Amino acid sequence: MLAPAVQEAMPYIVLVNFGIVCAVIVIALSRIGGMVMHEVPTGAQNVAEYFLDWFVKQSRRIDATVVGLVAPFIATLFAVILLSNLLLIVPLPLLNIPPTAYFGVTFALALTAVLGNIVLNGIHRGILPALTHLVWPNPIQLISEVGHAASLSLRLFGNIGGEYLVALLVLRSAPYGIPLIIHGLGLIPAFIQPLVFTLLTVSFLGTAMTHQAKHEGAARRSRRFSLGGRRRAAALGKQLVTGGESQ
Amino acid sequence: MKETLLIFVPTLTLVPVAVVAALAMRRISLSAIEGMARQPEVKGELFTAMLIGMALIEALVIYCLVIGLTIAGKF
Repeated sequence: MLAPAVQEAMPYIVLVNFGIVCAVIVIALSRIGGMVMHEVPTGAQNVAEYFLDWFVKQSRRIDATVVGLVAPFIATLFAVILLSNLLLIVPLPLLNIPPTAYFGVTFALALTAVLGNIVLNGIHRGILPALTHLVWPNPIQLISEVGHAASLSLRLFGNIGGEYLVALLVLRSAPYGIPLIIHGLGLIPAFIQPLVFTLLTVSFLGTAMTHQAKHEGAARRSRRFSLGGRRRAAALGKQLVTGGESQ
Repeated sequence: MKETLLIFVPTLTLVPVAVVAALAMRRISLSAIEGMARQPEVKGELFTAMLIGMALIEALVIYCLVIGLTIAGKF
């Protein structure tokens, strides 16, 4: 469908486009970060705060203490995927090949998400508990991590690659006017897919962190009871029943 | 002959899965919209849960597409 020369140079084109996306993000963030912030936000600050609020809200669903760790990570993933997808509607040849329509890029993004989850879990709870989570209580969790990478990458590639293929087919049969409709419809997956990618990453990370906390909590409770802490537990129960009046 | 038949493999793999997935997605969106209409204050949470559910179902369809394309030797 593409010219043979373009097909041969595809990996390099994708690499250059991905570099352009990253450069745009860095420049935009440096511009927004360098702005004078107002108490009542307007314009770009308003948009930036809206997005930031969404990321913070999603991170807070895991735990309020991990917002500083998780929010920047998912925000970066979201921005990279969204801008990569939006390259599809840029009306310039070669630049309109979205990097996320190439399986290597989506797999790299999914690996970043999965490995990033392990690293963030390691920073939050310590390296040993984070690695223990991969094989405890069930060693099959290691395979599930591979499954997460595969599902995240295949989903993104299937959606954006399919959209790109449809755009190419329509462009070939009807070069004028009609592709605008396809590009308009293409905006929906372009916005939904980074949303889904980010939500699933947060969901996997939340599962890892909270499951572990649950196990640790259970272990601590059982240790407390087995070490003769029953009296303390009974006192606590009494305190709860009387509403702390004895103190 | 074999190569000609292989062209139909992605279609035959994808169509039944896509039909079932569409029915499942219909159920999810119906329930989510009903929930949103009943309780507009939890609209955001319902939308998030709906998207995650739909993404998981959609992943199955894409797996089938990839398997079909792999069998046909086009991937």
